[in-house]
Parts: sequence; C-alpha cells; structure tokens
Amino acid sequence: MTSYQPVLQTSASSPIPQFAEIPAPLIPLLTFLSSVWLTCQNLFHHIPGSPILVRYIRSSYQNDPWRSALEVLLVAFALRTILMGRTRGEGEGKNFVKLTEKEIDELVDDFTPQPLVDAPSPADTFTLQTVPVIYGQNGTKVKTSPNGKPLMNMAIPNWSGFVESDRMKEVAINTLRQYGVGTCGPSGFYGTIDVHTKLEEDLANFLNTEAAIIYAQTFALVSSCIPAFAKRGDIIVADRGVNFAIHKGLQISRSQIKWYAHGDMKDLERVLQNVERDRKRKGGKLTKKFIVAEGIFENDGMMLDLPKVLELKKKYKYRLILDECMSFGMIGQHGRGLSEYYGVPASEVDILLGSMATGLATGGGFCAGSKVVCSHQRINSSASVFSASLPAMLATTASAAIDALIHQPSLMSSLQANIHVFRQQLSKLEPVYTQTPPTSSDGTVPAASALMPPPPIQNKDAIISIPSHPTSGLIHIFLLDPPPTLEEEERLLQDVVDEAMNTSSILITRARRLRGQEIFEPEPSLKICISGAFTKKEVEKAGQGLRHALIKVCGSEFNFRLWHEIKLTQSFVRRETMKLGRHILERGV
Amino acid sequence: MGRTTRRSAGAQSTPSGASTPPSSLSSSPPSRPLFPTISLRSSSPSSSPQPTGTEPLVSARSSLINVLSRPRHQFPITAASHSQATAASYDDASFNSNNDGDSLYSDQSTISSYASSIMSGTSSGTEMSKEDIALMYKDYLEKPFVQTKSTIRHSEFGHCNNPNWRWTSQWNSNEPIHLEEEPRPSYVVLMSTYFSYLLLIVMGHIRDFFGKRFRPAAYSHLMPQNGYAALNSDFDSFYTRRLKQRLDDCFARPVTGVAGRTIMLYDRTSNDQNKTFTRTGSTTRALNVSSYNYLGFASSSGGCADAAEMSIRKYGVSSAGNRHDASTLDLHQQTERLVAKFVGAEASMVVSMGYATNSTTIPALVDRGCLVISDEFNHASIRAGVRFSGASMRWYKHNDMKVLEELLREAISQGQPRTHRPWKKILIIVEGLYSMEGTLVNLPALIELKKRYKFYLYVDEAHSIGAMGPNGRGVCDYFGIDPREIDILMGTFTKSFGAAGGYIAGSKEVIDRLRIRSHASCYAEVISPPVLTQIIASMGSIMGVAPPLATPAEDKSNALSISSRHPVYGPVAASVLPPWLALPTNLLNGTEGRERLRRIAFNARYLSSGLRKLGFIVYGNRDSPIIPLLIYQPGKMAWFSRMMMERFSADKTPIVVVVVAYPATPLITSRVRFCLSASHTKNDIDMVLRACDEIGDVLDLKYKKQTMTVEEVIANAEELVAASHIE
Repeated sequence: MTSYQPVLQTSASSPIPQFAEIPAPLIPLLTFLSSVWLTCQNLFHHIPGSPILVRYIRSSYQNDPWRSALEVLLVAFALRTILMGRTRGEGEGKNFVKLTEKEIDELVDDFTPQPLVDAPSPADTFTLQTVPVIYGQNGTKVKTSPNGKPLMNMAIPNWSGFVESDRMKEVAINTLRQYGVGTCGPSGFYGTIDVHTKLEEDLANFLNTEAAIIYAQTFALVSSCIPAFAKRGDIIVADRGVNFAIHKGLQISRSQIKWYAHGDMKDLERVLQNVERDRKRKGGKLTKKFIVAEGIFENDGMMLDLPKVLELKKKYKYRLILDECMSFGMIGQHGRGLSEYYGVPASEVDILLGSMATGLATGGGFCAGSKVVCSHQRINSSASVFSASLPAMLATTASAAIDALIHQPSLMSSLQANIHVFRQQLSKLEPVYTQTPPTSSDGTVPAASALMPPPPIQNKDAIISIPSHPTSGLIHIFLLDPPPTLEEEERLLQDVVDEAMNTSSILITRARRLRGQEIFEPEPSLKICISGAFTKKEVEKAGQGLRHALIKVCGSEFNFRLWHEIKLTQSFVRRETMKLGRHILERGV
Repeated sequence: MGRTTRRSAGAQSTPSGASTPPSSLSSSPPSRPLFPTISLRSSSPSSSPQPTGTEPLVSARSSLINVLSRPRHQFPITAASHSQATAASYDDASFNSNNDGDSLYSDQSTISSYASSIMSGTSSGTEMSKEDIALMYKDYLEKPFVQTKSTIRHSEFGHCNNPNWRWTSQWNSNEPIHLEEEPRPSYVVLMSTYFSYLLLIVMGHIRDFFGKRFRPAAYSHLMPQNGYAALNSDFDSFYTRRLKQRLDDCFARPVTGVAGRTIMLYDRTSNDQNKTFTRTGSTTRALNVSSYNYLGFASSSGGCADAAEMSIRKYGVSSAGNRHDASTLDLHQQTERLVAKFVGAEASMVVSMGYATNSTTIPALVDRGCLVISDEFNHASIRAGVRFSGASMRWYKHNDMKVLEELLREAISQGQPRTHRPWKKILIIVEGLYSMEGTLVNLPALIELKKRYKFYLYVDEAHSIGAMGPNGRGVCDYFGIDPREIDILMGTFTKSFGAAGGYIAGSKEVIDRLRIRSHASCYAEVISPPVLTQIIASMGSIMGVAPPLATPAEDKSNALSISSRHPVYGPVAASVLPPWLALPTNLLNGTEGRERLRRIAFNARYLSSGLRKLGFIVYGNRDSPIIPLLIYQPGKMAWFSRMMMERFSADKTPIVVVVVAYPATPLITSRVRFCLSASHTKNDIDMVLRACDEIGDVLDLKYKKQTMTVEEVIANAEELVAASHIE
C-alpha cells in the first residue's frame, strides 16, 4: 500500500472523487480482491466464537499500543528464528566480512593449514624411547625383554599384590565362562549385569556409604563426574596440586575455580573466607560450592588433612569431592582410604571417587556417596551414560579383591611395613626432618611440597626430597638441586632409572607428564610404587639399590656441568657415528 | 525324509509363503520391478513370480555378486508336513543341495515356513491351538533347529546353515547413501506428539507444585537446605523426574550372562511408579536385538573365549598403571600392530575405554585456534573431547554435504572470530555409522571436499568397524575407499569384537605424537590382557591368518568376493599374532569371520527392508545393522517396549528392544532401535518382524502405506535383500 501513497496524495488535490483515478485495467483485479476479502470475512464469521476473538483483539490493541508493538516484534523474531539456518553459528555477526564467491575461492586456494601434528621434539622421542615394555605377566617380577633378567617392578600400583593373584585369575576365568568378555552395551541399555550391581553394593558396604556407581575407566570417571555436578555459576575451591583428570573435569565444568596452595589448610580457609565475603558483598542467589582435593595426591604422594577439610567444609557449607583413586586400596587398616585412616565416616565425603584399576588391580573406577549423588550420575554423567559398561570379569575380580581386603588385614599391614623399610633406606639422602615423620593421625607431613620453598637443610648429604606421606605406597622423589631446565632434569632422572635397572635390577619410572598441557607444570620426579607382595628383604635391597643409583648419578660428587658435557659428548659421538655410517653407505666404502 | 519329497512339496507351493508374492507385485508399478534380481533366481521353482514379459533388470554389482556367488538350493516347505518336518530337521542335518551333491548344509527354511503357517492360520489342514504353538516355541531360544559343528551355544550365537541367508555389505552406487528427505509422518502424528509432551509437562508441573507443598521430604534434594544449594537443579531434572521416570521400567533392565543372541533378564516390579524396583527373583530369557554385538563375538564359549582364558592364565587379569609406566605389555603392542593391519593404517594406539578414546585423543590433535567441524548427531564423547581441547566447534546439519561446504567456505574465508586470522587447522569429525540414525557418512563426497578444502578428517567408526564392508573393515571398506585417505580412524572394540576399549589409527607420525600427547597414555589405566586377547582373537578370525592352514571347499564358491577385496585388506601374517595363541581352524582360516560378516549383512538388510515394506518409518541405510523404527508419540514408546517383552501372540517369545527419546534424539522423533547381529538367525528376524507387525497394528505405528503383509515379507526375504530399491 505504501507505494500507492504518493499517487493518492497527488490525486487528493483534484476535485474528482478518488475512485475515478483508478486505471481501468485494475478494476477487475480490485473487484476480485474485495470479493475474496468478503468471502474470507464471511467464512471467518461462521467460525463459532470468532466475534469474541475479534472483539478481544480490537479492544486490547486500542488500549495498549505498546503491547501490540511487542507482539509484532515477537512474531517477527519467531519468524527470523525459524528461517535462520540451524548450523549458522556466529554467521552474520558484526565481525562478518561479506566476500564475493571469487574472493572466497581465492581464500580457499590460499588456505594452508598447519600439519595435523607437529614434528616430534627430541624430548618427545626421548619420552617414547624410555617407555618400558613388559614381556609376559606383569607383577612384582617382570622382564622388559623376551629373554631379559627378571626385574623387581616398583613402577605399577600393585599395593596388595592383586595383579598376580591366582585367586583373581580363577575368579576371572569363572566369570569369562559365564559372561564372556565384553558387555556390548551401555548400562542404560542391557549393559547392567548383575555383577555390576553386586560390585556397587560391595563398594557401598565396604565404604559404608549409601550407594556407589561404577565407571569403565578412572580417568573418564574423574573428568566426567565433576562436571555432572558443578555447572556454570557454581564455585569450586580446588587444591593446586590435584591431578590432570581433575583439571580436565574442572575445565569443562565451566564453574568459577579458586585455587588454594597445595596442602595448606590455612590458605584453604583464607580462600573460603574470601568467597564468603564476595558472596555477601554481591548478594545473588545461593550457588553450589565444592571443595575438590585428592586423598593421596597423584602428583607427589602427599596426603590430605581430611578432618580439617571436613571441618572447614561444614563450617562454610561446601560439598567435598574427594579423589581417592590413589589412596583407595592403599591406606587404612583394610584399604578403605583416608576415611579409615583418620577414623571418620566415608559418608561425610559428599562425592568420593576411587579406582578399581589402581586400588584393586582390575579396571574402572567408582563414585561412592548418597543415593541421590549416584542416581544423578546414571543419567547425567556423560562417561557413564554414553559408554559401554565395565567387562564382567573386571567387576567380579574387583568384588573378590574387596573381599580379600576385608578378610586379610595382613595385605595392608605388609604393605605398610614395606613402605617403612623402603623409606628408611632413602631417609639417609633426605633433609633430616623427614627421619622422624609424624605417623599419628594429626595431619600431613610438615610442609615439604615441591611447590613451596624448601626448608633449611640439616643433612649435608641430602640430595632428594620426598614430600610423599610416610604411609603412602606411592612415593615421589624430587631432586633438591635440579638442573636448570625441565628437560635436563628429566634426562638426569632417567639416568637414575637406568642405573637402578642395570645395577640393582629394580624397575622404577619417572613420573610421566603431559608437558605443555598441564595447568601447573609439575616438577619432574621419580615415581615409586611399593607393593605388599614384596618381601622385606627385597624392599630393603631395592631401597639400597635406589640410594646407590641416586648417589652415583646425582650424589655429592655430581657436577651438573660435567654431566652436561658428558651428555653433549655422547650425543656428539652418536651423531658423528651416524654421519660416518651414512657416509660409508653412500660411498660404499 | 528325503530331499525330493521336500522339493516336490515345495513345488506345490505353500499357500502362506511362496504363492503370495504375485499379489504384492501387482501392486507395484510395472515400470520398475520390485525385485530386479528376481530373474536370476530361475533355479527356484517356487520363487518365479516375475511376469515373464518384463525385461529382466540388470542389478547392481553387489547384488550380482551376492546372487551369483551362493549356491541356491532351498525352498519353503509345505505347511501340511510341518510337524514332522521340524522334528525331522533335527536329525536330518545333511540335506543335499540340488545339483552338485555337496552335502554341506542342512535346510533351515523348514521352521520358517512352519512358523509362517502358524501365523497365517489358514494354510494348514491341521489347526494348531495356541498352547501347541507356545509349547513349540518353549525352547526356541535355546535349542537349535539345525545341527552344526559350532561349539558356541545356540542361545549366544544362533546356528544357521542356510547359505542363501547371506549377503555382502558393500556400497551399491545405485542406492542413495542418505536420503535427501527424511520420511515424515502425517501432521496429525506430529501434532499429537507435541501435544503429548505438552500434556506431560503440564502434568509434571502440577505434580511438582503439589508435591513440593505436601511432601517436601521427597523434594529435599531439589531445594536449598540449611545453607547448601540444591545438588540437582529442579529445572534440569524435570525431564528425568517427570517424563523419563514414567518409562524407567524399559531402561537399565538388569541382566545376567552373555548379551549374545539372547539375554537373561531379571524380572522386576515397581510399586512406586518406577522410583524403585524390586526383583521378583525369577528370570526371563529373551531374544536380544539391543546389544552392540554386531559380529556375535560376545560369547562365553568358542575359540575367542578359550583364547581369553589362556591369556588370563598367562598374563593375569590386569596390568595396572598407565601406558607410560611399566604397564605396557607385549600384548598391547601386538594388538596395536594387528589393529593397524585390520583397519589398513600404518600404526594404531589402544585406549581402555571407547568414550575416553575420543575424549582424550581429540585434545591431543587440536587446541585453541583450530576449528572442529562436527556433524550435529556426533556422539557425546566427541563433544567432550572438543571441549577438553579448547578448539572452536561448529556444527552442520546431519550428513548435509551442501551445508558443510558452505560452512567450510565461510570458515576458511572468515578465519577466526574477531581477529580473522586463518584457522591453524580444520578438523572434520564424523561418525561412520550413526548410532541413533542408522545412517552412513557420505564418505565419497567428504573425500572430494577434502581435496578442495584441505581439512583433516577424523572418522569415528565406533559402530561401523566390523559391522560394515565386505571385509568388515568399516565404512572405508564399504565404500571402497583407501583408508589412508583418512587422517584419523577411530573405533571401539566394545561393539563388533565383544571386548572393551577403543583405538586410534593413522600414520605412524600421528600415532607417535598421540602416544605422547594423549591424556590416556599418561594418566589412564591400560586395557586388561584378557580384553586384548579377545580383540586379537576376534580380529584375527575376521582377517584370517596367513598362511592359511587349509582352504575349505566352500571358499571356492566365494571366489568373487575374495577377488573384490581391496589389496590393503589381506589376511594377517601369523607373526603378528602372539605365538602362544592357539585358535581353532575355522577362526584361523577366516571362514568363520567371513560367515559372520555375511550373516549380519543379510540380517540388517532383511529387517530394514521388511519393516519398510510393512509400512513403518525406518531411518538410515539399509545395510546398517542399526535400524531405528520411528514411534513419535512418547506414550507409545513404553508400550512398544513392554509389548515386545510380553508378547501377546502365540509364540510368547519375549524380545528386548531399546527405546530412545529426547535428549538422545530430537524431541519428536522417539524411536525403537534394533541392533542386529550375526548371531541372529533368519527365524529370529522373522520373529521380530511378526512382533513389530502385530504391535504396529495395535499401536498404530504404520505411518506409511503397508505394501506387503508380514508373511509375504518373510517368504520373500531373499528378494527383498537383493532388491536395490525398496519403495
């Protein structure tokens, strides 16, 4: 109609009535239109209730023009949403540059992506080359080549010696003959086998919690369980020293994350107070608040002061997510983890994560807590919903392992004895204070974190520091006086590993890290796992062997510059030999 | 009972079976014969309903191969002699084929036509009462109808000897990979679906409103309590509490034993509207068309299980720790070499969980400044992986290559948001076979696009590996595309191989890089040895081990399909397998594996085609072993699942199915998803078809025009499978 406006206005100046101005050819069209309009009107009036609708629309629009405008806008918006493509993301935003097809073609031709992966750095090659391969059964005594000599394996978590246990094998074979290997389905669709339910009950009974839920892998458990609860807008207070899987879980939870200094309860309280102050200042609605920590920290073996954390959590109304993947099956009289060690009920921990793979030497992980916590994950935790359930034999062996832990307290006591023997051997290289460690339940080792300034050294021969808790089977050894770069330190530690393997036949490993992907780069360290399946004598010998290796490679006579030069010469010689070899090949000499 | 009597009986043609096709054919347009390959079946007197005047249509290559390469010698038996025939078929195992006299196969069609006569009810002279039929089917799930040498229980892996019920899963370029337009039901159905949801939501809110006021204890976890915020958001859990809980009896049914061809369910009841369940203590064995047991390797007996047992004795149950510590076994390396050979890549890496394979590997490939373009129906693990990585992510409409190309042009020309810097790299992640849709990725088109737009391609073959392709090597094999054209091949062992975990395969350079950067290599536990052995044994048996110990006579008849093998998919050298592994001959020479591949291909195509003919809306490719049948209205979903369990037809054999709805699918397209397996026999599929037919009528699920009756479908199974077009 707008296009007719000027015509009508000009015609208004003339005295002739407006309809005379209508051109002849348009008249039939207009007649047709008006008849259509009338018919429609008639039809509309025949619909029962239509007058009410008309009256309603008329009155409401007359009385409230704002509302009419809003409704028109709404309709327009709805239309726009419907018409917009589903896959357009930021599409025609204000940053969108309109380009012609030809320009786009040129840009496509010019597009040169980076290679899918970068060329491996020397450090990467070194990492890959130093991965040991076990031939045959893994366990306390292993071979790293088909015909090699047996080595004492102190590199795998085998706290109670379940890895080689004949009982486990028997249980596994029985299960295999009844259930096969895989479950061929997620737990929601016929993947919930009775042995899974039984294991969940066993775990819940063992820890004395309301319920438990199992996952098919520990890493997926930790990284998926946290975002199942912590959402955007929630607050997470986390220890700085938590493991990589927790980091990943925190990252995708999109919650607000506050860090407190590793193992420092005072700092934790300070952070909690800050959050509380912030909340009071800003107001806003109550959000979920979590404290995330580990029982035995995977990165250095330190232990959490659980009673203190529980006290703080209650005081400031937080929920505790405790990752006991390392401590479950290792700490406490029956291996129930920190709660047993400190004598607090495990049900006080709101969300308790543990690992069957490390603690019980089978596979998968579990989360224990209240019924609400567990049933929530069955539908809302992505790794639980969207993955096949745990193979039946790993579930039954885990149940059998729990049974063994309950009925054989000797498993844990021999582990503790072995840890004690081993630590004694190494304490001669440590700064003095660790020789009288507080073994009572009053808390963690006095601040000895690698992340904190080292305390004054009293032992002149000290070359290493071990922040790991004296009862922890997982022992991390850090150098007191490390070389300047991470890579050199890793190489130096690898020398210790090689030396220990060659002279004392013990297999240990450097703590492997994802350099470049971690939020806080952990310091390089040696990782040692003690097993209760070793005899005391073996452990004593291993401790001695490691001590000698440490002294030999980085002891008091160790001179970094000299070591560096030797390394340089070695690589120079290797390079030259290769060159020579190529030369000979090419020339055919 | 002699063969000739059967033949003559067959020639008389059963009223319910073979004589019916003409009626159905007459309804189809004469210009396009319904069964293009039908003229090839001239050897069969009972199945030549094709009007002689029609020009025999030359079928697609794969159809030809399939039809030519199999001996043809079975015919439906008359219904009149059914009761004796079935009884006889137990002992009369060596039923000669028609011309060459190899006594290889026993005939299994007996029970099929027998059953069809029961169902149609009109054909036989001897009427059977319902009790008789129920009695007949009492042992249906556990007792085989034929004698075979198979050592695996019939309840885990159905015994089926009929060589006609085999097919080769291969791309036929005449068939569309993915339909342009999804079949849609009428608007009435759509509107009523929306209305159902509206009703559910309104009812749910009313219940919440009163519940919160009168029974606050039941809502405590949704409300703030003494200073703690609610653990679960009221809004987020609404769907679970008020919609899903109503059909919770159809989910997470507890089971025991092997999830093979059949599955043992614990019966349970609920007195509080599915909030809690109590087990009654009894169990029910049901036909299982729900597990991802594509090749039927989920088994507690047979060669693979024996190998796994051997490995438990030799290696123990677990290797503890992660790959970079001292937990890498020689077995891991052997598996990785074998997997690389299997998929046709240079190297591979295995991870202990399928979900984690995606979620821990993608972050090692892309990071900030990279763009990931993902199909809208990609699996949750892929989304998790991209979120872990910090890369940007864009979606495109499912399988729509035009939209994808537009998106690529936009992404490349616009560069990164705000800075307009070019993307570091673009990674397109697709799935080979979509687990909820049954659709295949349009790989040929994607490879074309890849040449032009220089992106990297990541194909998640979680469902397609083992299940698709003439050699079972996934979508590349299916489409005849060199796997080395794809940068990253990912897949899982949970599905086709009856094990657990997943793999990543690609060039050695890429895999080495992933070994260092993947989260799983440093921080996740390794796969346990028996699981690895299951992978090795099942994969080895699909590939066959060279040098083969013996070439069975049967192999010669399959000469065509062997010659069509892509060179990269040869048998595996014996040196790759662990030296201690002793596999039975049928696994070593690859006959067993090939048999399984051909059985699943037939089953998938048969059920998919049959359901379409019955008038159901079925999504996806006909070669896909995942067959979604659309239900739409949420109320019918639960009933479908319950009625499949409590069959009201005479045979009373329970069938377990998976029903899926929002959020796994778009809101309105609730569906039943059948996952077929090589372990199903044709009789099992017949049974599923009959069950769907009867329930489809009761629940009014046949949203399209039904073009064949269920008995016609069953009688014409082979033609339906061979046809290159359905509807």
